[in-house]
Amino acid sequence: MKRFVWRAAGVALWLQVSAFAGQLALRHILSSKSLLSPDALLFVSFGAEAVAFLLIGFLVSFLAGGFARRELLVSAGILAVIAFAVLHRMKPPSFSYDKFFADTRELVIWSGLTGVGALLLGLWGASFGVLLGAAETPDLRFAFEAGIARTHLRLNRRTAAMLVGLGLVPPGLLFAAGVFARAYDETVRSRALGAAAPTSLSSVRGDAAAVILSAAAVVAALFLAGRWLQARAQLAHLQPGQRRKRPATVVMTAISIAGVSVGVWALTVVLSVMSGFEADLKKKILGTNAHALLLKYSSDFSEWKSVMPKVVSVPGVAGASPFILNEVILSQGQTPTGAELKGIDPETAGSVNELPRQVIAGELSWISDPTQIPVRETAKPRDKARLLGDDQYLQDTFERKEAHPDELAKGIPPETLQKMPGICVGKEMSHALRAWVGDVIQVITPLGDMGPTGPIPRSKSFRVACILYSGMYEYDSKFAYIGIPEAQKFFRMGESITGLELKFKDVDAARAEGRRVVAALGGFPYRAKDWAELNRNLFSALKLEKLAMAIILTFIVLVACFNILSTLIMLVLEKTKEISILKSMGARDSSVMKIFVLEGLVIGAIGTAMGLLLGLASCSFIERFGLQLDPDVYYISNLPVNVDSGQFVMVAFIAVALSYLATLYPATKASRLSPVDGLRED
Amino acid sequence: MGEVEAAPVRESPRIEAPLLEARGLHKSYWLGEKEIHVLRGASFALGPGEMASLVGPSGVGKSTFLHVVGTLDPPTAGQVLYDGQDAFAMGEEPLARFRNRNIGFVFQFHYLLPEFTALENTAMPALIGRMPRPEAEQVARQMLETVGLSHRVEHKPGELSGGEQQRVALARALVLKPRLLLADEPTGNLDEATGEGIHQLLVDLNQRLGIAAIVVTHNPRLAERMPRRLRLQEGLVIEA
Ligand SMILES: Nc1ncnc2c1ncn2[C@@H]1O[C@H](COP(=O)(O)OP(=O)(O)OP(=O)(O)O)[C@@H](O)[C@H]1O
Ligand SMILES: [Mg+2]
Repeated sequence: MKRFVWRAAGVALWLQVSAFAGQLALRHILSSKSLLSPDALLFVSFGAEAVAFLLIGFLVSFLAGGFARRELLVSAGILAVIAFAVLHRMKPPSFSYDKFFADTRELVIWSGLTGVGALLLGLWGASFGVLLGAAETPDLRFAFEAGIARTHLRLNRRTAAMLVGLGLVPPGLLFAAGVFARAYDETVRSRALGAAAPTSLSSVRGDAAAVILSAAAVVAALFLAGRWLQARAQLAHLQPGQRRKRPATVVMTAISIAGVSVGVWALTVVLSVMSGFEADLKKKILGTNAHALLLKYSSDFSEWKSVMPKVVSVPGVAGASPFILNEVILSQGQTPTGAELKGIDPETAGSVNELPRQVIAGELSWISDPTQIPVRETAKPRDKARLLGDDQYLQDTFERKEAHPDELAKGIPPETLQKMPGICVGKEMSHALRAWVGDVIQVITPLGDMGPTGPIPRSKSFRVACILYSGMYEYDSKFAYIGIPEAQKFFRMGESITGLELKFKDVDAARAEGRRVVAALGGFPYRAKDWAELNRNLFSALKLEKLAMAIILTFIVLVACFNILSTLIMLVLEKTKEISILKSMGARDSSVMKIFVLEGLVIGAIGTAMGLLLGLASCSFIERFGLQLDPDVYYISNLPVNVDSGQFVMVAFIAVALSYLATLYPATKASRLSPVDGLRED
Repeated sequence: MGEVEAAPVRESPRIEAPLLEARGLHKSYWLGEKEIHVLRGASFALGPGEMASLVGPSGVGKSTFLHVVGTLDPPTAGQVLYDGQDAFAMGEEPLARFRNRNIGFVFQFHYLLPEFTALENTAMPALIGRMPRPEAEQVARQMLETVGLSHRVEHKPGELSGGEQQRVALARALVLKPRLLLADEPTGNLDEATGEGIHQLLVDLNQRLGIAAIVVTHNPRLAERMPRRLRLQEGLVIEA
């Protein structure tokens, strides 16, 4: 039993308490002095604390000359108590949304987690120290250990070549499959459109790199298959005694590599698809909504015409457009439907959102120039609607309009029709109201004049100027657009508006840019809300889902790491004799530990690399091949993928870190073997 | 290779400053309730460059004795002193380094690493001592030449004869020119002539490099030819 090193425990405690205090201070400073989002804030401050705990463990391992298990346990325990006392004093805000201050139970969990985190991260850090020879003089060299590890894993030139082949060929084939599926698809499509049908080859030619890569993969696959058959044939000719027996650990090593790569593969593909959904959602939201809204703490925003130029001149702002937003009821005959009626300026709207590009029939500009809206002839849907050929409702609405051009304007003289203001509606709304371009619909606001029994709803007739398709069901079924002057008149707002829609050059800096705009206007009474804030529910749900998915899938990697663990235990048992001999020749404990840690890391790294390549190839395949989704359910036609390099790096890091953890138990066991343990066997 | 670090070969068996001194070594094993008392206060001293044979009937504890004095296995009681310093009082790492530099082992079942060639096996102690690989292979090659195996460097243990394996084990034990060689029946399982050859080699090396040695053997003729003869009997070392 080793001596308890009080000094190490004391230093650990002192540093851990400082790290905890640092975390609190950092969070406080960042939340008041920076524009980081709450999530980023937590990530940065707790990340810094975690790194500090890791480093403290590393340091303490040198002071205690080993893992310093008991020292770290004692200091982490005391830290938890101190953390509880401090938090209890401070009354920090709760993490839960329905409480303001954290209650005692939450504080106990917090401080407990701080203690456990300090202990586990400390032990993790200490393991690096032990590995580097913390017990005595540190030794960073590992050439000899790597040599031994290589023979244990049979990593000679042949197996390395085989691994590279196996790692590259399946992803390559998958990639090739995607490329050719896409080429085939394009040929079929262009033939269907009646264009001069290009051959599959010519449409592939554009993507030269893809062609070369996939050809290489196919050739390599054929070559490998050939070699394998050759080897099989040779084996059949061998005499029974000539066959080299393969130790169980080699097979187990292969299984461990496969396990890690499957885990990493699943993790990367699922996360990429989920960020694909997220990116798709973001794109659609930002197609209809601006990056941020500039609002005012007052109902009177009539000075907007002078504010606009100031806003646009702020660097980083790409566009600004006024808007008015109110809830109304739209009706046509007997079908009323609730709607968000938005007054916009068709001139500048295109600079903050994608509305002009979402038009599938009519013109957005007709809302400010309603005389342009056709009275007699029927506005044809644009190309986009043809791509939506499977949308039966839209088709029906259009056909009905063609058959009965003035069904919804019966009895109204054309001159009156021409004077009616224009309104644009989403495509879902269009068939809910059964209204096509040129049709008359009623807009009703409950905020009418005061009558003897309360406000009397006010209504006004509008003609449909255009139909929009955003790709988001909520938007297509809920939004209607009219011109700013019409809206001001209808809602009796005078010269005022609700606010300005803003677009920035960098979407991801929307929060900071918004604050800059507000600052440029002199702050209060102006305020800005960015798109993430406006759609927080949606994105936090998505983020939570992604986190849950990541955690579940990390379990696959975790299980794979148990494979590594058992493989290494088998290896240690198999090599007991060898370990004894090495030790009798003067190998240090940390040397022996390094051997097995390196082996686990190599297994983990090879598996991770293979999994990443497979994941990348799968994403490319999904993207090119275009897995079909039911558009009525998902409102999106293909499975989206978004390859985020940061995510891949994260997954790789998790996989390698877990493999490292898996090596610690067997490696420590091996290093503690006495030299005579293996010499007595036989 | 030259006469590097060659300590003068002492004639007298009694030395004032011994290289190795064992004081009252006890070693017991426990088999359930039963205590097997193998060493019962064995003491002796060995001077630098001194060569001794150790004999005794099978199971008397010769291998155990070598492991204890070779710092591989701590004694139940007693001390092992090198240059007057208690070896087992050293930390793990200094002891490992000491072993690496100063003690060479030839085990009873020679124990080469089966996945490495003769050259790699021989170079292993040098690599453990962090000697750069080319240099380590250089000294290993020289040592293999000394034991007469320069034509078998790339063979793995499985591809060598028993005598050749013994010689590789010897080369490995001597590659860093330790001050003490502990050889446990280096000539066991070998025919008379080969055993004789290995024995002669040991004596040669002792004279050329001044390496002290304790050689366990069952061959009374070979034991007789050693300058000093020890016998392990009832857990004690006695001069024969
Ligand atoms: N790990 C152990 N546990 C229990 N008993 C042991 C252990 N190691 C050795 N012994 C016992 O100690 C005694 C001495 O063993 P040792 O190997 O030292 O004998 P030896 O003199 O080298 O014999 P041989 O000449 O046959 O090699 C034997 O009786 C053996 O059974
Ligand atoms: Mg023996």
